[in-house]
Amino acid sequence: MGQIILGVGDFGASNNPDDEIKTFALGSCVSVIFLDPKTRSIGMAHVALPDSTINKAKAAEKPGYFADTAIPALLAQMAELGCDKRGKGIIVKLCGGANVMDTNDTFQIGKRNALSIKKILWSYGMGAIAEDLGGNYSRTVSISISAGQVTLSSPGKPHWQL
Amino acid sequence: MVKKINPDELEKIVASIPMISASASRLLQITAQPDHELMDVVNLVKTDANLTARVLKVVNSAAYGLVSKITSVDRAVSYLGEQVVVSIAIENCAGELLGKELAGYEAAGGELWKHDLRAAIAAREVVIQSGADMSPDLAFTAGLLHDIGKALISDYLRGTAPEAVEMISSHDSLDYLAAEEKLVGVDHTIAGYALAQAWQLPEELAMAIRYHHEPAQAEEIYRPLVYAVHLGDSIAMMGGYGTGSDSMRYKLDANYADYIQINANILANVMLTVDTEFDKLSESLSDSGEKS
Repeated sequence: MGQIILGVGDFGASNNPDDEIKTFALGSCVSVIFLDPKTRSIGMAHVALPDSTINKAKAAEKPGYFADTAIPALLAQMAELGCDKRGKGIIVKLCGGANVMDTNDTFQIGKRNALSIKKILWSYGMGAIAEDLGGNYSRTVSISISAGQVTLSSPGKPHWQL
Repeated sequence: MVKKINPDELEKIVASIPMISASASRLLQITAQPDHELMDVVNLVKTDANLTARVLKVVNSAAYGLVSKITSVDRAVSYLGEQVVVSIAIENCAGELLGKELAGYEAAGGELWKHDLRAAIAAREVVIQSGADMSPDLAFTAGLLHDIGKALISDYLRGTAPEAVEMISSHDSLDYLAAEEKLVGVDHTIAGYALAQAWQLPEELAMAIRYHHEPAQAEEIYRPLVYAVHLGDSIAMMGGYGTGSDSMRYKLDANYADYIQINANILANVMLTVDTEFDKLSESLSDSGEKS
């Protein structure tokens, strides 16, 4: 089985049923997951920050890092696997976006990441059918391409599905 | 039944930890002085053959990609800078402790050290990018050492992570610190402080270790530094580098604003810098081969 490990700001997609896509320890980062039933392909981006205007050079080098550049980049990669360019028919799931406890507005990066991603998805007419966002814990996410099943884990908690 | 750590037990645990080397101890003393100079660091490194060898190995490692080899300590230290030298010294004498698996937190070997490096860079960047009036170097060092207590109590917490997590989600404990206290009798800040005293660390560093989750309880003169480490720690966890089951399960003290002016934009830039600088620093430290 091939494992595609995504680091912070990475994105990737596959239609190989033997593959698994995985990302470790989402804190305030959000994992955007695209599942396309038509082509049986799955993609994921590990988004760290809501807005690329703070560093255009970083966005050019690592588009998956920012919400506003990650979605178009992931869609483009999915399109190479035969998915609709505008994301039509793609199922979206979101997870991550945690915050430390008693956080103030400034430190709610998790929440801002999720909001920014949703806003950009709306602009494509897309929306998440399932989400596991917020809370005060980190999440590791893996998806097997064949089953299309999203599994989450966090130290000290039993695994769960999304 | 989990074994509790009473004061005698804590003393025993601390006594079982090797002392840091005399040169590392002096390095931490020197760099905590506001008026020290880089030359003081150079002179100190020169007194320790082991540290000298490590410093030269790091500066000549592939991570720095120097065209010609550096053979003098003076040049090596000024090239690497104080923070890298301090990281090398701490890794050299406490690397085993800070690199160990934290079974009690379900964290693999190496996770604590990565968290420490991220917290150190984040604390430094918070100071630099907010323009706070304190030493970024000291914030860095305090960030490196803040969680040392976890390595001391982790074995006692073995198997408790699900319970600790449940205690917090059911509001039986306010945060992971309170859960640690309930489960084994001391939390990681108290254990870390006991080690800081045994190691005779400068008071600034000891206070950052003791109060990084409760910065308001630190004495006023230490508070700016302790808040910087408090934020650095939070930022490391937010960036996905916690130490296992306790990650994100601590409270943010928003009164940092009395000492550190940081808005959403600065915070985003700090997080971005931490990602970049962490790759550089960890590459240069690990790239230099076997620890001596």
